Amino acid sequence: MKDVIVKFDPQNRSLMERLFEPPAIGKMAPFTKVAVYSFLAIWSFFVLFPIYWVVITSFKDAAAVNQGPNFIPFIDFQPTLDAWRINFTADPYCDIASIARQIYLLAHNSVVFVLSPFVSLQPMEPQICKIYLAFTNSVVISIISTIFCVAVGSMAAYALARIQYKPKFGNIMIFVLLILVVILISTYSGIPWWMSSAVALALFFFLARSIGRHFKMSLGNGDILFWMISQRILPPIVVVVPLYVMFQAVGLLDTHLALILLYAVANLPIVVWLMHDFFANLPIELEESAQLDGATRFGIFWEIVMPLTRPGLAATTLLILVLNWNEYLFAVFLATVKVQTMPIMVAAKNTGEKGVLWWEMCAVTVVMIIPVIIMSVLLTRFISKGVLLGAVKG
Amino acid sequence: MTDNPTKASVRFDGVQKSFGTVKVLEKFNLEVQPGEFLVLLGASGSGKTTALRILSGLDTPSAGQVYIGERDVTQVLPKYRDISMVFQSYALYPHKTVAENIGFPLKVKKIPKAAMEADILDAAKQVQLEALLDRYPRELSGGQRQRVALARAIIRRPSVFLMDEPLSNLDAKLRGHMRAELKHMQATLGITTIYVTHDQIEAMTLAHRVAVLEKGVLQQLAPPSEIYNNPANLFVAQFIGSPAMNVIHGSLEGASFLTNGAKVKTKVKGQIPKAVAGVRPEDCDVTNPGKGSIRGQIFTTELIGDHTLVTVNWGNDQIVVKAHKDFDGKQGDAVGVQLPADNLYIFNETSGERIR
Repeated sequence: MKDVIVKFDPQNRSLMERLFEPPAIGKMAPFTKVAVYSFLAIWSFFVLFPIYWVVITSFKDAAAVNQGPNFIPFIDFQPTLDAWRINFTADPYCDIASIARQIYLLAHNSVVFVLSPFVSLQPMEPQICKIYLAFTNSVVISIISTIFCVAVGSMAAYALARIQYKPKFGNIMIFVLLILVVILISTYSGIPWWMSSAVALALFFFLARSIGRHFKMSLGNGDILFWMISQRILPPIVVVVPLYVMFQAVGLLDTHLALILLYAVANLPIVVWLMHDFFANLPIELEESAQLDGATRFGIFWEIVMPLTRPGLAATTLLILVLNWNEYLFAVFLATVKVQTMPIMVAAKNTGEKGVLWWEMCAVTVVMIIPVIIMSVLLTRFISKGVLLGAVKG
Repeated sequence: MTDNPTKASVRFDGVQKSFGTVKVLEKFNLEVQPGEFLVLLGASGSGKTTALRILSGLDTPSAGQVYIGERDVTQVLPKYRDISMVFQSYALYPHKTVAENIGFPLKVKKIPKAAMEADILDAAKQVQLEALLDRYPRELSGGQRQRVALARAIIRRPSVFLMDEPLSNLDAKLRGHMRAELKHMQATLGITTIYVTHDQIEAMTLAHRVAVLEKGVLQQLAPPSEIYNNPANLFVAQFIGSPAMNVIHGSLEGASFLTNGAKVKTKVKGQIPKAVAGVRPEDCDVTNPGKGSIRGQIFTTELIGDHTLVTVNWGNDQIVVKAHKDFDGKQGDAVGVQLPADNLYIFNETSGERIR
């Protein structure tokens, strides 16, 4: 009995015990510590090395790349600015002023687009070198679609978190049925689509009020949420051809609007799914109290709910921003010339006749990585904990 | 802020509420006088919070009407009811300062900033918060947060004040202090107040009238003294009073209550084979063994400070007696307990109704 007690005194522990047992709760045993930190070190090496390789490759010339893998500048190879020079000076209009001109062009052409049904104005033609064009395109498209997506998505998520929806199953079936009828009629009878849709819509409201309300089965908010996220389960490649045809039909191919809309819609389910959780976890008393104090639903959303979900909002925004920034598949189909984005630019360095221009590709990649790093640093400052401290706990 | 508070009466008219098949509130009728401090008292699940939420408009009743003043507000949105509410959790906005929290009801009304600041200071002074206006809720203690919630409620001078267990998150000492402040404030402002609590001491000390609820049914509506001295039924009798009223099972025969070999004279008369006698610990006396209505042994004694609680076993029953603080009986000592005929409440055991 006495031996056992002595054994547990710190100074009497054997070497093995000292190595493998944590000295206190909340601390790691020395052996575990070594194992964990070595694993982390190796992991970081694997994560960081490709980035290092990309950066040094952008300072290589063709010869240095073709010599095989060498990693230490000035010793293995002589760094040069060739790749950067080709990307940034080879094309005409590679001055900073052309970026300003491009931004003006975007504003001008949007006005032209909006006014196009009423006034016929001539859109401006871009005068800018490829990499600046791709960069401004990427910035404009990903920022606008992210703002749009997060704004609409969080409102939808808030509604789903706080309002109980009970769409009747029968009504949904009636709706789907009417859509099918509209498609059939407008395809085969020659009646204009808008006319048949209007009739179908009126018919839907009538049927929903008369027949639909006798249906018992209804869906709940969980079903709606799952329906939304199920849109993302589909691999995007499946829908890319129909999307191409659709955008072609409405004449939006190779426009910023097409990519902005598409990115916003494609990422909406993610925003709704993520933000729903943040909203659902807010103490409802805050909103009830604001309601009693006389705030409107929108007032509550902007004044109370949004500031309190700021960390979630920042995290979601960052995620969507990065997804949009890196998007390749939709862009490669829908953006042929004028709205090429950075990923397309990177891929374009894999030329047919000259092979892969690794050094140029790496220079473009570096340009593409930098904004993401800046964004992450800026937005992680908002991803702080303890926003809700002092709200409801005594 | 107006100097003449608008006092409004409140009326529940046959209000029912059920969640699915669970009936939370059944045919609830209640009239609150203008300027009255009414406490809804009940255990958790008694429907008291539901009644308050229905009055606030955060819940809608399944049936029945709610009136504030002469106005039927059953279908009116919360913000048009001219009420303010203090939540159990305080529900302070953590990203706003104390001043912004207090001023929020005015801000949404788009009241000019200068007028708002004067009102905020005024409301803050009422609850002694004027030094903390720039702090955030997380920098405040529990009692201070409670005051912010109060200030936010009084700044609008609503016609009705609702409070949902506002003191239950405070520690015992602070609770006593805030209780006194609340009572003083309500008396000063004269605003009709409906206060929900499960704490009978809060109910007794604060209320002009107490409404005792159990299982969605109003058990008794009366001033605190009446509730204490004249409970309408067995539930109210057992719920009010600390320590709780002693309950003795037996039968009523003529003018005496028979139990476990003992016979006590009663004021009421009747023939009830299954009756319950309730007697408050302070109305009983410990007597020398062989005397008194009941003979038993001391189970345990507890010195409370100004008195001693003596638990006496007799047969299979127990009775708690409030004795003098110098009582020096030991566990197992034989004693007698004197039951008072005057303060013996007799209830029908099956219905719980008081026999008068």
